[in-house]
Amino acid sequence: MSDASKKAQPGFWSIFFLFFGISSVIIGGGYVMVPVIQRAIARKGWLAEDEFYDLFALAQALPGPIALNAATFAGRRLAGLRGLLAGFLGVVLPPFVAILLVAVLLDNLAGLKPVQGFLKGAYAVVPGLVSAFAVNMVRKRNWTPVRAVLTCVASIAMIVSGSWAIPVFFVVAAVAWLSEGWKRC
Amino acid sequence: MLELALVFLKIGLASYGGGWTIVGIIKTEVLGRNWLDEAAFADLVAIAQITPGPVALNTATMTGFRVHGFLGAVVATLAVVAVPLILAIVVGMLAKKHFAAGSRLSEALKSATLGLLAMTVWAFAPSMASAWYVPVLSVLAFCLSMFTKLNPVWIILGAGCMGALVFTFL
Repeated sequence: MSDASKKAQPGFWSIFFLFFGISSVIIGGGYVMVPVIQRAIARKGWLAEDEFYDLFALAQALPGPIALNAATFAGRRLAGLRGLLAGFLGVVLPPFVAILLVAVLLDNLAGLKPVQGFLKGAYAVVPGLVSAFAVNMVRKRNWTPVRAVLTCVASIAMIVSGSWAIPVFFVVAAVAWLSEGWKRC
Repeated sequence: MLELALVFLKIGLASYGGGWTIVGIIKTEVLGRNWLDEAAFADLVAIAQITPGPVALNTATMTGFRVHGFLGAVVATLAVVAVPLILAIVVGMLAKKHFAAGSRLSEALKSATLGLLAMTVWAFAPSMASAWYVPVLSVLAFCLSMFTKLNPVWIILGAGCMGALVFTFL
């Protein structure tokens, strides 16, 4: 662990409220929440951008909604088990409350014109935001020729693999892991 | 109720990547068990979409609520996050060292993760072609997000409010 992260270790409540706030307002699914989380944490000075991408790669390799995994891993990195729980509760509570309110009180909410318009607008920016996140991750990576080739092959393989994407994910990870070791010997 | 818990435990274990994959898995399970019909499930996903938070989580909460009321919502939500939460704790404790930035495993996972991201971006192609304003807003959002320090929250909320105004009054 670097000194910078120790110096700025946030407490349970500040982590909780950060994720609570993000989870309360973000519409559009996990891949949108991830860049928002990244920006928010970087702005607070809690975690460097490239460190977040390392966490994200690991979060991606485990089952579970990606936004939730990103939050628990970022929380753990920031403040150990306390931070993990803070991230978890922060992400889970707002939608849980919101969804029960909507289900009980506003059953026809989805049919209202302003709501439909809001959704159309909000979902229209999702491809742009996710692409920007991907490009930033590419920019911040420490590239080697082997990594570049593997990443290109992985991208093409997953695009054509359809429902086999997850097995392909692990095959790529395994091949990449072997190639990293072979280089160091 | 026990069945509900077990099904969502299983879904939590098998859920990889973005929300929409998980919604697909939930759909198969729920329709296959005749808990809900297709129209009711579509309704439920619509609500999961307009409520904030991860869509996969919202769909699980909503399904539990429709099938078994409040208690069902609690059970389904806890069950779907149980495996990811436990794994996060265990992996975090076991592997502090191995997952340090720039480590062998972390770099290997990054290659695969970038592949998965590429697939996700590729999967947006149909939505980009669905209406003229989607590519326009997406390119705008991309530039704002790349070249300014603006928090993406404002981009989403801004686009949403614009959409609400335009769609209501035009």
